Amino acid sequence: MRGLVQEFVVRDYGGVKGGVVHAVSGVSFDVWPGETLGIVGETGSGKSTLARSVLQAPRPKEGTVVFRGADLVTLRGSRLLQARRHLQMVFQDPFGSLDPKWKVRDLVAEPLIAYRVGDRAARRHRVDQVLELVGLDPAAHGDRRPRELSGGQAQRVAIARALAIEPAMIICDEPVSSLDVLIQAQVLNLFERLRAELGLSYLFIAHDLALVKQVSDRVAVMYLGKLCEVGPGEEVYRQPLHPYTRALLDSVPGSTTALATKTIRGEPPSPVHPPSGCRFRTRCPRAEQRCADEEPAMRELAAGHSVACHFPLVPAADTQARSEEKIGDTPR
Amino acid sequence: MNTVSGPLLEVENLKVSFPGRRGELRAVNGMSYSLYSQQTLAIVGESGSGKTVSCRALMGLLPQAAVVTGSVRFAGAELLGLTDDEMRRHRGTNLAMVFQDPSRSLNPTMKVGNQIAEAVRVHRRVSKAEAREQAIELLRLVHIPVPGRRFHEYPHQLSGGMRQRIMIAIALACRPKLLIADEATTALDVTTQAQIMELLLELRAELGMTLMLISHDLGLARSCADEVIVMYAGQIVEQASTPQLFTHVRMPYTEALFEAIPRLERPAHSPLPVIGGRPPDLSALPVGCSFAPRCRRAADDCRTTAPPLAEHEPGHRWACWHPCGDGDPNLWTLRCCRCAAWSRSSWSGTMAG
Amino acid sequence: MSAPLPDLLPAPDAAIAAPVRKKAPGRASSLRVWLPLGFLVLLAAACFIWPQIYPVPKPVGGSILEAGLPPLSPGHILGTDPNGNDVLSRILYGGQVSLEVGFSVTVIGLVIGGSLGMAAGYWRGITDTSIMRVLDVLIAFPALVLALAIAEGLGPSELHVIWALAIFSIPAFGRIARSNTLAIREQDFMLAARLSGTRGRHIILRHVIPNILPQLMTFALLGFGIVIILEGALSFLGLGIPLPEPSWGSMIAQGQQVLSATPEQALIPSAFLFATVVSLNVLGDALRERWGVR
Repeated sequence: MRGLVQEFVVRDYGGVKGGVVHAVSGVSFDVWPGETLGIVGETGSGKSTLARSVLQAPRPKEGTVVFRGADLVTLRGSRLLQARRHLQMVFQDPFGSLDPKWKVRDLVAEPLIAYRVGDRAARRHRVDQVLELVGLDPAAHGDRRPRELSGGQAQRVAIARALAIEPAMIICDEPVSSLDVLIQAQVLNLFERLRAELGLSYLFIAHDLALVKQVSDRVAVMYLGKLCEVGPGEEVYRQPLHPYTRALLDSVPGSTTALATKTIRGEPPSPVHPPSGCRFRTRCPRAEQRCADEEPAMRELAAGHSVACHFPLVPAADTQARSEEKIGDTPR
Repeated sequence: MNTVSGPLLEVENLKVSFPGRRGELRAVNGMSYSLYSQQTLAIVGESGSGKTVSCRALMGLLPQAAVVTGSVRFAGAELLGLTDDEMRRHRGTNLAMVFQDPSRSLNPTMKVGNQIAEAVRVHRRVSKAEAREQAIELLRLVHIPVPGRRFHEYPHQLSGGMRQRIMIAIALACRPKLLIADEATTALDVTTQAQIMELLLELRAELGMTLMLISHDLGLARSCADEVIVMYAGQIVEQASTPQLFTHVRMPYTEALFEAIPRLERPAHSPLPVIGGRPPDLSALPVGCSFAPRCRRAADDCRTTAPPLAEHEPGHRWACWHPCGDGDPNLWTLRCCRCAAWSRSSWSGTMAG
Repeated sequence: MSAPLPDLLPAPDAAIAAPVRKKAPGRASSLRVWLPLGFLVLLAAACFIWPQIYPVPKPVGGSILEAGLPPLSPGHILGTDPNGNDVLSRILYGGQVSLEVGFSVTVIGLVIGGSLGMAAGYWRGITDTSIMRVLDVLIAFPALVLALAIAEGLGPSELHVIWALAIFSIPAFGRIARSNTLAIREQDFMLAARLSGTRGRHIILRHVIPNILPQLMTFALLGFGIVIILEGALSFLGLGIPLPEPSWGSMIAQGQQVLSATPEQALIPSAFLFATVVSLNVLGDALRERWGVR
């Protein structure tokens, strides 16, 4: 276990010419060593932009990203490369993230070559080692090209590449969304095993709440560029404080015996013109005038569990929500 | 559920194969089922299971190279082997399909209202004005607010959920009796997905339609369908009514699917019980049961003879020599109990690398 | 913003994706590659190698006595031209010119235009703007007028033809290279390469070039044909290869004068020109399909 403290404090905005797309607006969180922080959000929530901003690709407009003592936002060029060395990323589309013309071995060796790790023999050894670690046979798969691999195998190669230079933290941007159910489970187990064996931290981004909760210690929910709720996974699931989290939970098919009676209303607003005050208010069944006037700040309502809402679903006050919560399923 | 006149759709021994580089690729390998009027059927499977190909065969949308045999009867009329013109008469009025990605299925240069109106005019001889009226009516039917104004918008101005509603409106243009939704909500957010599914069920009730859902999402099937078919390697491996399937799963593959899905009740970091391997190569299917190489219950007879799909219990068909018994607790109905979850997962866990 | 698209249809976990999307390369496809390629190789061999090893009548300096012989005359398979020169040998030597010009212009365009385009597309910003402005200036010159100017000013020669056409071909390749680079740039694997620590130059060399090369190559093949035609046109107008050196274009021009009497004088070089360009086009198209270039 590496004893280094890894902290993120990210406050950033995304911008686009000709109308500003507020992709991410003032998001702050920390990730502790060995922890998995899951970020859940739908399309337009800004979670992917967040992931890329953390990696400075592109550099966020404002904010700080402190990783192993260095603020990545202030660094440039080779200093940025060095500081970012132990931070890697796995992408959603395994085939898009691997150069189709390269062989598996070269793909995995690329970071080793770029950071000048070892000599050729040492690099080859490391490539083999890391391929075995992700469950691929170096002899069988090493000389293949991505199109000769299946989705699951390609994603393993991407993970192997991320592991090659011994990162401390891996940002996973929807890494299993494009995989079949059974392969998805295999890859998730792989993530868990690597976490246990190598002591990695993850920033795990997905749109599937159950998936995120499965792999995370803490879960953060994003909506339209802002964080709604952050807390331990079990807590967020059992006692969601933000109405949006509640709506997400209700919308998961099969989580209730019938389709949610309170399906969320309306369409997501455009990120170019986000609603004033609380961004969720246009679709929130609990919205009131205050929500339009004042943007809610993130408040800690329970141990380690914060929410940004003027009228959070506090259990004592909200008995209706309580009775509709179903833990587990009842057969029809 | 049974109408007096018999099943609305009857598929008998449907086989679809493509000439492949390594030999004939059997995408669908003998599929037979019946669909009754006003029923909601979900066909569930992973990629390569043949679910999409079989539906495209129904609609006559397969490429020229495909070899299709068997019989597909819609209200008695045979659909396979029809010419394009004949098929076109069925499409829209009898059968309609909603596809996965609305941004790829809509014409980006045409106003959405016109696209719906066009669909109306293909099948009915009405004036342009009349078609426009019907298009606006359809927009209202799919709950698009301010339909008169939305008529004039282009697809890129609409969100994913709205676009999918437009697709549904186009499919419904001529009030088809059967609507096939091919992964219609897969590309959508979960909240939008819930809205669209609610819409589809509502339309089914309102228009007396029959609904066929194709998906990889078992949860979706569970909450929306009356009957579920599970496919693997081009064949039906299990079929039952929804409650029956989810409480008394028989086919080990279906069970593996249940177990592999992350569920909210599971504790964090618990390993997902998962089976190793990959679906078989469709051009070189193994002798015997296609699932045998990956099945933890496989025995010698599984590898030599393919089990037939038979109705072993009323309303519940499966194809397995050694199905899961009644005694096994079904994980799907397990309550949030850590002990049970852990013991179950360790018992069934052969985790892949 | 990312749209969660669990796109299961093309997932190659099952082999079904392959036949539904691309057809297996059948005999027809292969034929479309090998037939034109074979023709071009034969032509090149005939033009460049054969005259070295087999005595072919000189393309120039024929005697008037032998003028205007029809094809299949003894010693002159394709006959002679109005000046008494052997047509076949003029075809072969003229072919040399066409192929040389075509090749040189294409290679210059590919290397210079391609590099500029890639640099513009990858680094964007001011590099992109300045390079594209330069290329825009080049492309603004009408090729034939420029060739005329050069020919008038410096006198017609093969080299000058190459220069004139290169000014046309560099921006063409530059544009193609730039747009392809832009398309690739947004892909995840480029970001992944940057995150792996690879620097700009290496990224271009090892990631961009291998991925845009198929597009550039097919464009080059098609461009080759266009250049040959342009060279033919220039020579036809008298702005290209100066007489009496043979060139297909000038042969067609000469043949035009005796079209009613001996049409084969114009038809034979035209036929060769046609066959060559068609071969290049068919080959380019077939390779484009093979390599999946859009």
